[in-house]
Order: sequence, then C-alpha cells, then structure tokens
Amino acid sequence: MNLDINVTENSEKYLVHLSGEIDAYTSQKLKDTLLPLTKKKGYTLVVDLEQVNYMDSTGLGVFISVLKATKEAESSMTLINLKERVRKLFKITGLDQIININLDERGVND
Amino acid sequence: METIKLDLKHYKELLKSYIETQDEKSLYGAEQISKSFIKNNILPEEIVNLHIQSIIELYPDLNKEIRHAMNFLLETMISYGLAHQEYQTLREKQLELKSEISIAANMQETLLATTIPNVEDLDIGVISVPAHQMNGDYHHLVKSNDGLIGIAVADVIGKGIPAALCMSMIKYSMESFPDQSMKPKAILESLNRVVERNVEAGMFITMFYALYNPTDSKLQYASAGHEPGFYYYAEQDTYNEIDAKGLVLGVSPDTNYNQYELQLHQGDMVILLTDGVTECRNNGKFIEREEVIEVIKKYAHLPAQETVNQVYKHFERLQNFQLKDDFTLIILRKNV
Amino acid sequence: MTTQSCVMIQKEWDIVAARQLGREIAKKIGVGTVDQARIATAVSEIARNIYLYAGKGKVCFDVIETIDQKGILITAEDSGPGIDDLSMAMEDGFSTSGGLGAGLPGVKRLMDEFDIKSEVGQGTQIKVIKWVR
Repeated sequence: MNLDINVTENSEKYLVHLSGEIDAYTSQKLKDTLLPLTKKKGYTLVVDLEQVNYMDSTGLGVFISVLKATKEAESSMTLINLKERVRKLFKITGLDQIININLDERGVND
Repeated sequence: METIKLDLKHYKELLKSYIETQDEKSLYGAEQISKSFIKNNILPEEIVNLHIQSIIELYPDLNKEIRHAMNFLLETMISYGLAHQEYQTLREKQLELKSEISIAANMQETLLATTIPNVEDLDIGVISVPAHQMNGDYHHLVKSNDGLIGIAVADVIGKGIPAALCMSMIKYSMESFPDQSMKPKAILESLNRVVERNVEAGMFITMFYALYNPTDSKLQYASAGHEPGFYYYAEQDTYNEIDAKGLVLGVSPDTNYNQYELQLHQGDMVILLTDGVTECRNNGKFIEREEVIEVIKKYAHLPAQETVNQVYKHFERLQNFQLKDDFTLIILRKNV
Repeated sequence: MTTQSCVMIQKEWDIVAARQLGREIAKKIGVGTVDQARIATAVSEIARNIYLYAGKGKVCFDVIETIDQKGILITAEDSGPGIDDLSMAMEDGFSTSGGLGAGLPGVKRLMDEFDIKSEVGQGTQIKVIKWVR
C-alpha cells in the first residue's frame, strides 16, 4: 500500500496532508518526513489525516516519536480530520489524552 | 565428474533419438536429465557446451555458421550461470537464517510457556498464534499463593523479531514483581516505568491485566491502551465491551492507571484479545468487532478451550491461512 | 614465465580489448571453450569496475606454470577511490551494479583463485587465476 505525503509551509505552520495507508511499510517514510519538521521552535505541525483510511500501531508509534521530538524542540503537533476508525485507535490507546487532536478543524488554510 | 560423463553419453543418445523420431519419450528423458543437471549444480553454459559437443559428434559436418551460433549462445549463458550460483548461495543463507529464527522461536516458546491454572469455578481457554515465527503477543496466567488468578494479555507494536525481543522484557519484569497478587493498577504502573526506560521513542506495548478472586468471584482489571475485550452477561444474554481507559506502556513515565471491577455470575464470560483478532481483513475489508462477537457466539456452547480454537480456525480461514498479525484470544467462563 | 601483456582501461571499448586478449591467451594455453567464456566474463567485470569507478587503470595477463598445472593470471590495478568495506563488496546481493550474480562475488566464482587489496583513496588491486583443466 502507498502513502502520499504533501507538505506546505505557512506562517510558522507546517501543514502535512497524508493520503493512503499508514502501516509498517509506509511509517518509516512518514517518520522521516515529520521528524525534521519538528525542529523549529514555536512552529506547529498540523497533520491532516482526512485521506488516511487505515493506520496500524506502527503509525501510532510514529506520532509518539514526533510528539516527543516536538517537546524537545518546543514546537507542537496537532492532528486534524481523523476518520472514525483512526480516531478510535488513538482513543483505545489513550494517546488522545497526550496528543492534540482537533476533530472539527476544517480548512486550516484560512 | 563421473555423472557429467554419464550425462554426456545419455544426453547425446536422447538428442539423437529425438532428432530422428521427434518422440515424446526422448523429451521425457530430457526432462529427467535436466533435473539431474539441477541436482548436480550443472550450470547453463555447461549444458550448452554439452549440447554443442553432442551435436558435433553426431553431425561432424555441421556447418560453420551453426557452430558459431552455438558458441554465441554459450557466451550468453555465463551470466545466467552466475545468477544461478548466487541464487543457490542466497538460498542456503536463507535456510540458515530460518533455522536460527526457528531456534529463537523455540526459546521464546519455552520462555513464554504458561500453564492454565486450575480454578474450580472458572473454565479457561487460551490460544496465541504468531503471524510469523516469533510472537509479539504476550499472555500469562498465574495463580498466587493466596489463590488469586492473574491474567495478562499484551501486544507489542509491530511484529516478528523486534516485537519478540521487547516481549521478553515484559516477561522478566513481571517475574521480578515480589507479590503475585499485586493489584492490576500497580502492575501496569510498575511495568510502564520499566518499558519507558528501556524502549526507543515510538515503541510501545498495550496490556490488559486482570486479577480474579475465586472467593468472591470478583475480577479487578486495568488497561494500558489495550484493545478492549468483551464481557458476556449470561442473565441478559448480552455482550458488552469491557470499558477501561489508560495510556499504552512506554510513552510517559508517570502514568496512573484506573482500576475497574466486575462481579462474575454463573455463565458469564470474559473475553480478552489482541488486535490481531479485530484487525483481520477479509478481502481488504476489515471485520467489525460485532462480527468477532458473532463468531464467538457461534462456538460459545463449547468448553472454553474449544471455543477459542474454533474462533481461531474461523479467522484463519477468513484470511486464507495467512495471519497478518499475531493472534491471541483468552476466554474465561464462570461455570458455577 | 612468458612476458606480461597489458591492456590500459580508459574507455568502454578497452573492456572489449581486454576480454579479447584474455580469451586469446586462455585459448593458446589450452583452456576449454566454457572456461574461455568464463575468463572473458571475469575480465569484462573487473575491467568494467575500473572503467566505472576508477576511470582508468590496467588489466594484465601472465601465463603461469607450476609443477603440475598451467594457468592464466590476471591482474587488475587502478588508483581509483578504493573499496571501503571489502566484506560487503564480496557479499552476494550487494553488487553496486545491482546486477544479478555479477560484481566481485561473480568474478570469484568464475575463476579458481581470487585475491583483492584495496585502500580507500589509493586504489584497488585484483589478482585472479584460472587453471587449465
């Protein structure tokens, strides 16, 4: 399966659009893309998961790593537009308590 | 060398017979001889050479152009020969690796062996099958000196060897706990500190821990982000999700876990599982948790061990006998 | 011992010249058809390595004789970048050319004896022998 990653930068904000599946095969690529984006202090990393239909536990692992990296660099991360199945995964694992998840966010460009 | 000489003679005879009669019998002979070539590691360039020699011996007046053409063919076979030899070497290496992994898998099996404790009022069924050779799921059942039953189910992120290594850590830390009747909340909190210190960022473990007390039929439990199990309430004939909240192990060192309690009655069932069960995919489509319950219902009349076996068989078939993830299912049924 | 003959490798066509010289010498000392083809392929491979990674170098041929056998010794030398990890370069499936079976392990298989020395920044020397069977 494939994962397309599209990054845009906009006033202290990285917007990352993901499309596809996040699993053991694609998560390395995702991690390699997201980690460097956490390095700028004060920046927010917004990850749009609207086009992600499937994610497994390795995907959760990526977001945990990225979260830890943002804390070190004093940047932050928010996940938006999660599909029900993906949102449930964050809820079951209790990760929704430590990761910023914005369920209503739409059109973050404005 | 002897076999090559024999094969040369045989090859020439077969070739002659085929050129003269074009019969199927010679072709069958050719099939046999090519198998013998493979068995004896005869490379393609040697076979082409054999062919050239045979044909020259059979037809000494063979025209020059054909001879050159045959030599040309021989030349093109050299790289195939090399590729074939490389393939052989890699195959041997793969067998070596496989046997190493299978030894490790055996060690793991011994390490994780758990005997189902004998509890008068509880019928217990357990199945745990790795997707590959090594298991990233963990389960453990233990009876403490004061008669309490501890039940652990855990799932390490990922699968295969890394997951299996990580799981050995769980096993050792669990054994280092002084008191086997430790409360589920305390167990998860201690384990979480161990895991957090010892795994890299991004690695985590989910765990459900329960402690059953046969004297009052109460089940205390806590969850570290583990796939929720089900509770079957016999009196109302209903299946409900076992509600328990808590962060996965290994992410945050000072996590506190909530502890919950269930009162078991006769005929009630507690169903614990890993996401290998609910992440089964049927032709790319995920099965829903309700479907898991349907399957369990279908076999619930059987003894607990039979139930888990049958449920496993069902999902194994559904996935064309190729598990995508480690599969663990535990059923506890109160029978008195 | 006969005199050594060498081919300088600088352009792709020199690979062909090296192959041809190797084959001729092999033929002259009585190497069979299949082994001639193997020697030519091995020469091709080492000459190609020089051409691709060192830019220039040479491949030399000697006829060698011991008490009981006769063979062809091929020496390839370049002063190119050298190979950092020889173990890896000799491992199957790691050939930088990505080709199946080729690379240094392929050369080793094609010949009877194989020796390589390499220093990073200084160059590589490969010696291989094929005995007449």
